[in-house]
Amino acid sequence: MAGGYKQQPGSRSSETRKDGKRVAGKQSFAPPGSGGSRPKMAERDLDFIPEMVGGKEHQPAGAHIHDRARTGTTVGKRIPLVDANAKVTGQAWYGDDVRLQNEIIGRIVRSPHHYAKVVSVDTSKAENLPGVLAVATGDDAPNKFGVLPVTKDEHAMAVEKVRHVGDLVACVAAIDEATAREAAALIEVEYEVLDSIHDMKKGLEDVDEPIHWRGKYHVGTTNVQKRVFQEFGDRSMVENPSAMYHGKWKFQGVNHGFTEPHAVVAHWDSNGRLQLYTPQQVPHYAHRALATVLEVPMHQINVIRTFVGGGFGGKSDPFPHEMCAAILARKAGRPVRINFDREEVFWVNRGRHPSHIEVQLYADEDARISGFDIDALIDGGGFASFGHVTSYYNGVLATAPYELGSFHYTGARVWTNKPASGAMRGHGAVNTRCAVEVGLDDMAEQLQVDPIDLRLANLLPPHSRTISGFRITSNGMRQALQKVREGSDWDNKFRKLPLGKGIGIGCGFFISGSGLPIHWDPNKFPHATVHMQIDMDGGVTVHTGAADIGQGSTTAVAQVVAEVLALPIEMIHVRSHESDTSPVDLGSYSSRVTFMNANAAIRAALEIKEKLLNAAWDVLGYHPDTLVLNDRRIYYKHDPAIGMSYLEALHKAQEDKGALISSGAYRSPPMGGVHKGAAAGLAPAYSFSAYVAEVDVDVETGLIKCTDVWAAHDCGKALNPLAVEGQIIGSCHMGLGQVLTEQMVYGRSGHLQNPNLLDYKIPSVHEMPNVTPIIIESCDPEGPFGAKEAGEGPLLPILPAVVNAVYDAIGIRVNDLPLTPDKIWAAITKKMKIERIEDATNLPVPRLDFSELQEKLAKRAAEHNIRDKKRQTTEDTSAYVNGVLFGFDPNIPLEEQVEGWAHADKPSAEQLAELGLAGKAWLKEEQRNMGGEN
Amino acid sequence: MLMPPFILHVPGSVEEACQIAGDLISEGKEFDWIAGGTDLIPNYKWHINPKSDVISLASIEGIDTISMNEVGCMARLHDIAESDEVHSLIAEAASKVASSLIRRNATLGGNLCLDTRCFWYNQAEEWRSSIDWCHKADCGTGSDCRVIPNQNTLCVATYQGDIAPNLMVLGGIAHIIGPHGAREIPMSEFYQLDGITRNVLEKGEFLLKITFSDDIKNWIGKYRKLRLRESWDFPEAGVAAAWVQGDKSTMRLATTALESIPRLHDEEVASCEGDIAKLANTIFANVKPVNNTSLPPRYRRNMIKVLVKRVCED
Repeated sequence: MAGGYKQQPGSRSSETRKDGKRVAGKQSFAPPGSGGSRPKMAERDLDFIPEMVGGKEHQPAGAHIHDRARTGTTVGKRIPLVDANAKVTGQAWYGDDVRLQNEIIGRIVRSPHHYAKVVSVDTSKAENLPGVLAVATGDDAPNKFGVLPVTKDEHAMAVEKVRHVGDLVACVAAIDEATAREAAALIEVEYEVLDSIHDMKKGLEDVDEPIHWRGKYHVGTTNVQKRVFQEFGDRSMVENPSAMYHGKWKFQGVNHGFTEPHAVVAHWDSNGRLQLYTPQQVPHYAHRALATVLEVPMHQINVIRTFVGGGFGGKSDPFPHEMCAAILARKAGRPVRINFDREEVFWVNRGRHPSHIEVQLYADEDARISGFDIDALIDGGGFASFGHVTSYYNGVLATAPYELGSFHYTGARVWTNKPASGAMRGHGAVNTRCAVEVGLDDMAEQLQVDPIDLRLANLLPPHSRTISGFRITSNGMRQALQKVREGSDWDNKFRKLPLGKGIGIGCGFFISGSGLPIHWDPNKFPHATVHMQIDMDGGVTVHTGAADIGQGSTTAVAQVVAEVLALPIEMIHVRSHESDTSPVDLGSYSSRVTFMNANAAIRAALEIKEKLLNAAWDVLGYHPDTLVLNDRRIYYKHDPAIGMSYLEALHKAQEDKGALISSGAYRSPPMGGVHKGAAAGLAPAYSFSAYVAEVDVDVETGLIKCTDVWAAHDCGKALNPLAVEGQIIGSCHMGLGQVLTEQMVYGRSGHLQNPNLLDYKIPSVHEMPNVTPIIIESCDPEGPFGAKEAGEGPLLPILPAVVNAVYDAIGIRVNDLPLTPDKIWAAITKKMKIERIEDATNLPVPRLDFSELQEKLAKRAAEHNIRDKKRQTTEDTSAYVNGVLFGFDPNIPLEEQVEGWAHADKPSAEQLAELGLAGKAWLKEEQRNMGGEN
Repeated sequence: MLMPPFILHVPGSVEEACQIAGDLISEGKEFDWIAGGTDLIPNYKWHINPKSDVISLASIEGIDTISMNEVGCMARLHDIAESDEVHSLIAEAASKVASSLIRRNATLGGNLCLDTRCFWYNQAEEWRSSIDWCHKADCGTGSDCRVIPNQNTLCVATYQGDIAPNLMVLGGIAHIIGPHGAREIPMSEFYQLDGITRNVLEKGEFLLKITFSDDIKNWIGKYRKLRLRESWDFPEAGVAAAWVQGDKSTMRLATTALESIPRLHDEEVASCEGDIAKLANTIFANVKPVNNTSLPPRYRRNMIKVLVKRVCED
């Protein structure tokens, strides 16, 4: 194919320069879409075409259903994000970059009290201030909303009560910010201060005035917003354990710390439709909530997602300030902008829950994990937000990657008078994961075995089922552990480093998309839909509701379409900003976007491909099965000289109907159990990760520096390794913040003491370790080209890896995150007193002498390695459920094989007597219809 | 974040600056000096004690000298940190202030006259109103101190400048100028309790420059700073020590970020006669940090022992 094939009908050699570029003005038909200055077809990039379909791309995990759609164009290649130019040149339009004509400025009046009844709001002075164009209060928007349909407990502004310092009371709009601020100060609010609750443990107690009433039933008269009980497996297995870990953990709340503060512009256009500009991760939920609060049908609202300057879960709730802007704009008859100061970002929060988590782990004589007992009390702050789900996730996302003899979880989320907690990268899984992984490290020490081997000998295989009924498909956990062990030189370092230097391991497990769409029946409407359109110019316009929040979803969608149609990625234009043009999409949360939207996009692209190939069949006379798509050209596979350009085929296909259009959708297959809460944590695929961290601990000051991280993450298939590595490194940074320095500090008076980015300590570039990202490709059978999530899961392992490395360095475990130097110093000082050591530089460091179990575990891990390989490549397709390691038959329900193998979603009478902290929520009787709507 | 409006005066000479200050005083107006603005502007954005007038020193020529014997108030910290002319201890201290971006703007004068800090005070206006203000910025309410309640007379906000203790141990002389003339005072006496008073500057005066004797080039020293992050953060504790090269008996030692003023510890050094462990314990016993910065006071105080050891040891 030397010289290649020309892409444009009618182009002649006499009109082509010797350097291959077009001669200006000499062509009869300027060919937009034909590849610009590349008139010749590139050769097929066999390195990026799977070996199963004739390419050279190695497929250790076997074939994939999308292999035949691969063209070697973009998938698997390191390409910059398609919106990167806009961002690095300052042209990306974030919330604060939107400027509409006649725009005015809104400002929110916030509560100075933790908890109070709003007795009266006098807005008259503000209304009379020159320059003020609108004032609104809770009376203007009585309808409740919330991100989850089951827990709507928010108002645009306080209706009866304010629930934390910073809660919204009223809002004003004026000609400029100074006037708006002045007007806000003139609004007089009379409060009746109530007794506030700040300690989440107090949230479990009965009170006169709970922060919310829970609707149909309330847990006593407490502030419990959600309680969960889940028990699986055989509880008798935990009796007489060979090793047991008991840890009481404390996690401070953390905030997403995104760069762009919230900003919104609301504008009622000339037709009376609301145009709302907002940096939203989940525009569709905001769309629904706006319709409810404003009492306007959804079709009269256009939600325009601006570029999002970081979200991480913090921009996924519908927010009261979005309602406020719309209410003010409707009253003022002019567009209203509200920009947040950083304090306001902290007050709206939705960060990771402050938590008390108690875990007990058990191992039997064969070092099998006979039980996980987890009790998680989480502090929800003033509103429900995503808390219903978080309450489950804190438990159920610990049911893998290990095979368990039993699992027992009690969880409770309480309302307190703090800014609301919500979803944050690694939603609900991070804190428990840290406690569990540290527990495994501790048990390995008791058993005198290597903690990596302990893990390797207890992993669930690919294509299996967890104890809680989650369907595991692809599973690269084992390779991840093997790779970090190798990369970090673990065997020569673990328990062998001098005092102050340590190395530690941690694993992670996370959902790749949530299995159930929250707002509708999955059988009635798909999870994700993508529309495509190609007009005469050959450019492909893709409409998707996938919200790019910096994670690269637009790039992922563009990539898969480019891949299927074998077009340069510049020819794919993704339109995802407006709800008017985007198909309904659930948004960017639960690490669902690449998995679901890329799958939908592949389907839409395959439909177009079929139309193109049929057109080529008409012209060339060769059946589509014998035609090859490659770089803007379609040709007969046995003789590439017989072919036509993409544009020719396109124009042929357009003869009767004009522009080609198609629609693709994704829906997850039916899965999971039927027990209460079975849907929580259910996902069409799961990601796995393993990190090794190395730390330096200054034994005199307690300061910890993480120096190196080997970070292996199983993302199924890296559609874009550059983007995956970015997510891994970014996750490391964010997780390091939580484990070492970041915390929302509530002082003695209950006020958030550090609502600014000087005192809220996000690690700087100096604190970043040298991260070696390692991509594991387990090729998920249902993922787009095999891909799974990479945005959240990689955060999980860094926390326990660092905590375990600190133990390796100084022999001390601190169960209170973040590991600020004062805590480490206090623990060292305590240990020195107990062990009568004068000088911290003489602290003993842990060393490891293997027990007999070690060899046994290594042998089991080696056997499992063979087992897993066979299962991964589907050489072995036998059933595998959690319990096989304990000798059970996967083909017979376990309840029938073991007496006591059961599931429970409520504690028994005996259990009530011995519940943990969160479990105590089950001691309260349900009270019916105390108030509230849900 | 919107600053309250103020009138900005931009004098072109020291004399004009003093003139403007004098005029404003006689008109009964409140004002602040501004140099690099990295301390003042964030406070103004939070509406912390804003004034109606601000006098900028940025357009005065010749007050940004950086040499072994003199450093001007408008010398940028970045330039000091990068300079080969200035004493290496001062360069080291300057390099540890905040972040590279802030050091480009921040000045020596601003750092030395840094406002004292407290987490009840360095907050947005709405936040401070929710605690009914505090003693240092009471907005006319006569509020109590939130760190040590029920005293209402003393502000215990913490001085968190990095450079001051280093100038103290190097024997720096502060040159002060104002409408009533110029005066000199050793850096060790420049600071004055409490957290509101901060230093000896009278109304209308500003810190013009720091000078050093020719002897300074024989001195060497170290500065150690306790902080959570290697960028951005103010010191949670800081210890500087200097001595004539080859003669530790000449050692001088100063601390910062532990109280409302930085302190030179000549008496403690003299009483310990070169016993570093004893010195560390003595200073530990003599400083009393309070709970108003990121790290707990007990820890910060204990770290003094470690920092003293680390600056004194070879």
